[in-house]
Amino acid sequence: MGRITLDQVTKSFGEVNVIPPLDLTIEDGEFVVFVGPSGCGKSTLLRLIAGLEDVSSGQIRIDGEDATDKRPADRGLAMVFQSYALYPHMSVRKNIAFPMKMAGVPEDEQKRRIDGAAAALNLTDYLDRRPGQLSGGQRQRVAIGRAIVREPQAFLFDEPLSNLDAALRVGMRLEISELHKRLATTMIYVTHDQVEAMTMADKIVVLRAGYIEQVGTPLELYRTPRNRFVAGFIGSPRMNFIEGETAAAKGAFAVGVRPEHIAASTESGTWQGKVGVAEHLGSDTFLHVHDTGLADVLTVRVDGELPVRHGDRIFLTPEEDKIHRFDAEGHRL
Amino acid sequence: MATQHSRAAARLMISPAVLLLLGWMLIPLAMTIYFSFLRYNLLMPGMEEFTGWTNYRFFLTDPAFKAALINTLLLVGGVLLITSVGGVLLALLLDQPFWGQGVVRIMVIAPFFVMPTVSALVWKNMFMNPVNGLFGHFAQSLGLAPFDFLSQAPLASIIGIVSWQWLPFATLILLTALQSLDQEQLEAAEMDGAGPLSRFFYIMLPHLARAITVVILIQTIFLLSIFAEIFVTTSGGPGTASTNLTFLIFLETPAALRRGHGLGRGRGRDHPGQHRRDLPDADDRQEPGRVRMTRGAANRPQIRSARADRTGAPPAAAHASGGRIWRKMKVGEE
Ligand SMILES: Nc1ncnc2c1ncn2[C@@H]1O[C@H](COP(=O)(O)OP(=O)(O)OP(=O)(O)O)[C@@H](O)[C@H]1O
Ligand SMILES: [Mg+2]
Repeated sequence: MGRITLDQVTKSFGEVNVIPPLDLTIEDGEFVVFVGPSGCGKSTLLRLIAGLEDVSSGQIRIDGEDATDKRPADRGLAMVFQSYALYPHMSVRKNIAFPMKMAGVPEDEQKRRIDGAAAALNLTDYLDRRPGQLSGGQRQRVAIGRAIVREPQAFLFDEPLSNLDAALRVGMRLEISELHKRLATTMIYVTHDQVEAMTMADKIVVLRAGYIEQVGTPLELYRTPRNRFVAGFIGSPRMNFIEGETAAAKGAFAVGVRPEHIAASTESGTWQGKVGVAEHLGSDTFLHVHDTGLADVLTVRVDGELPVRHGDRIFLTPEEDKIHRFDAEGHRL
Repeated sequence: MATQHSRAAARLMISPAVLLLLGWMLIPLAMTIYFSFLRYNLLMPGMEEFTGWTNYRFFLTDPAFKAALINTLLLVGGVLLITSVGGVLLALLLDQPFWGQGVVRIMVIAPFFVMPTVSALVWKNMFMNPVNGLFGHFAQSLGLAPFDFLSQAPLASIIGIVSWQWLPFATLILLTALQSLDQEQLEAAEMDGAGPLSRFFYIMLPHLARAITVVILIQTIFLLSIFAEIFVTTSGGPGTASTNLTFLIFLETPAALRRGHGLGRGRGRDHPGQHRRDLPDADDRQEPGRVRMTRGAANRPQIRSARADRTGAPPAAAHASGGRIWRKMKVGEE
């Protein structure tokens, strides 16, 4: 159905080489998330798959069939854009019907699919409105509806939630995940929000400057990051990195330990430092600990009720078996 | 923001501007309407009298009125059609990335900066003139007889000239509108399976609708009052073939009468304006269909005669042909 294979795909804009040779396989029905810092080529990669950009070299296969030179419409993919890209002069109904109209789907079939999509996405009451009269979340749903009715082999999402407020984002995140469970269609999802990546993905692809740093399930990336970049990128708050003597004692150039793998105490521990900013989330508190002699600042997750104040002395103890070790090039040891 | 209080304040603030504007517009308008019911003769100031609808009847019953009305509609409609369709196509073309885009865009706008009088003269003498014009040469090089645009298709020629002037305006506005179209919409449409034509009709054209309306509204205002182009090319002729309402009004004025225009009375040939060479003389305008081989003295009798009067050197054939046409035209009336 929707197996997508990239084979030595490259892309350059003039002199600028954005994607160096890249291999990637996306299995049928998988929810794959591309993450990476801004400008690393996530959108470009997605647009290459969509056919909105031509590859400079290499091959893209969809379902085993060479799609490198196929037009976007012939690839059987549907895309949801960051700006939604709804047609402002058409009603919601016409927006959703547009791809079917272009494909020559019969009227009654069109109506059936529109009603189905509208019911699934809670859009039934808004079918006759214009996109301009909808809220951000509703527009997002229309864009998804427009993608669904095409019954594509795969959905492509380019940061679809970045224009929504936090609460709505959580809601839409769930809706998209549920949609994926229900349709079981391949989905490729671009984001730079690693919470979205961790919660939604079957498989995460971490990109940096066009290179794939690591591919794996969210927990694989969390537990065994292949290098310092992935280790720092996946997980929130960021992993703490400690260089120097402490690392050398463990036979590494640098060691990393996640904030949630450090125990804090006001009485005793391996390391000690002074409490800086404390971010209270209620359930947890993130403490920024200074003057440890290990790194500028260590972030520690502690229980929400731990009674510490700014400037207090605090003792830290890392969980030895959850310490990651890296060599000078940043590779995992 | 929009509380009762702030709205009242806003009204107070803008009221001077509104009052000024009202005065600026309403007083002249009221005066115009007032004068339109007077018999007002500039030669006899102070003798105005109320005449009711006479001025209106006089104008509306003018035999040329209906023709002028139709010509006006054709002129405005034709130019609007050409400029909006052509403008959209040109804008689409200029929106494509190509080498030298910036320079080409500036050049496309150039006609808009040429004064109407000048551009009309250029078209008349350098392009449409059957003897000296480029089109004539081109026709001849193909072995065809040159077409005398301004005599045989006067209105269409003027529509062409005016369209040439206004096409840049339409192109510019439409190009700007086109560039403001969200590229993602086009990409979405492309992914939705819309080909170039569907993308144009379903996405671009609706997006351009407002800009096209603006182009049509603004152009209509200016096109209704086209004058210079007619004045220097056909002078409304042959007959009334290219007279629009604006030009018809001009023909009713003393200035036109003294210049000896076709529908005027053919008096007062010594209007100072005629000393300027560029102004077309009556003969130029009033000889429909005649392809002139030379533009010698005989073609400019009035200018010659006027000059002669001043310099004291009597021109030979000038007076002989000077008012010929007028006499022809006026036979019935005088
Ligand atoms: N049309 C283009 N011409 C030249 N360079 C481009 C073009 N499009 C993208 N790039 C460059 O390619 C690189 C990758 O861009 P891309 O849009 O894929 O980044 P991204 O990972 O999606 O970033 P973000 O998270 O900010 O959306 C960037 O450095 C960008 O400057
Ligand atoms: Mg992007």
